[in-house]
Amino acid sequence: MTAYDDETLMRRIDGELSPQAGDRIDADALRDPALAGRLARMRGLRTLARETFAVASDPRDAALSRLIAGTAPASSPWARLVHALKDAFAPRRAALWGGLALATFAGGVFIGPLLNPAEETFGLSPGGAISDAGLVRVLDDRLASDRPDAQGRVVALTYRDIEGRWCRTFRAGDAGVAGLACRNEGQWAIRALAPLDAPSGEVRTAASDTPGAILSAVDAGLAGETLDAADEARARDGGWR
Amino acid sequence: MDDFQTGLVELLPRLRRFARVLRSRDADAQDLVQQTVERALGARSKFRAGTRLDSWTFTIMRRIAIDEGRSNQRWGRVMTPETEATASVADLAQAGEGLRTDAMAARLAIHALPEDQKHAVALVLIEGFSYAEAAEVLGLPAGTLTSRLVRGRQALIETLSAQGVTG
Repeated sequence: MTAYDDETLMRRIDGELSPQAGDRIDADALRDPALAGRLARMRGLRTLARETFAVASDPRDAALSRLIAGTAPASSPWARLVHALKDAFAPRRAALWGGLALATFAGGVFIGPLLNPAEETFGLSPGGAISDAGLVRVLDDRLASDRPDAQGRVVALTYRDIEGRWCRTFRAGDAGVAGLACRNEGQWAIRALAPLDAPSGEVRTAASDTPGAILSAVDAGLAGETLDAADEARARDGGWR
Repeated sequence: MDDFQTGLVELLPRLRRFARVLRSRDADAQDLVQQTVERALGARSKFRAGTRLDSWTFTIMRRIAIDEGRSNQRWGRVMTPETEATASVADLAQAGEGLRTDAMAARLAIHALPEDQKHAVALVLIEGFSYAEAAEVLGLPAGTLTSRLVRGRQALIETLSAQGVTG
């Protein structure tokens, strides 16, 4: 009688042994009820796992199919927002928006019309408070030196504005948006937004990669200097109080 | 639609199945599928024609799942344990319609596996990838994949046997 370890039997079940090696095990199992039982349990587990997670059609696949086919409207609220932002930043409107980022976006003046109360998952609520839990986590906890999260979100500059509020710029890479958020009544509120690839011909520094409209908004509200890494970490650890 | 788009649409049911193994809550699984599709569409220029679209797309989903898992570990869950437990129960009841009792037990046991073992089990036992293909999707040496698969399988057999489930 040959003693087979679990890995060998597993390979037998999964078709990872040569036909000859598989046949040897099967022949041994005919003479060894314990071995036959082990093989049966492994086969049973595989069958059960496949039954448990059977492939099934889902009505939500239709929407995803339209997305893949390129016929779906921008599906996520962020995507719609980026579309609107890109339109707003198009060269033909540059004179309208240029240099007015803070005044334009503050208080939801610009983003307000884009908000849809029916969208429970939207990243912003009327008034600019951020309800996107992932972005809130990034703003709460991440440092400028941290790598982007799974959605490409990363913070850049941190400072106190002229009203004493903590403010942070961020980039949301997957969403294609950069922004400025400030603490207001214990939560982060959007003060400025701009598309990451604004077709305005503006020059960005490699260090910041932050759109000029956002940097202008920072300049307009900055009191003193932006924080260095140590002060940024202290502010974070202090809970942005 | 071109071949890439058609292939991605045809993969949706399998992507959803893989997501349902990686995420116990239906809403989380749906988010994972949606993110994977969006990421795949954005990265399609990196897909080499003639290679396997399923391996490439499953790799994307696996990376998103791992990144999210790390993020959740680092920052804590947004949901409270109470709401998550309630959601899981409701979700289980919904997903469990038509499932036999032993399949329900298997679902719980697979979801309870450590992430690394769960990924290996999902790709080999459920998706039917070869060990070499699964190792490539997971970015692991073949030996590591095999050992995770052995441990995952042993744990499942032990858990289910203790409940009288033999498959």
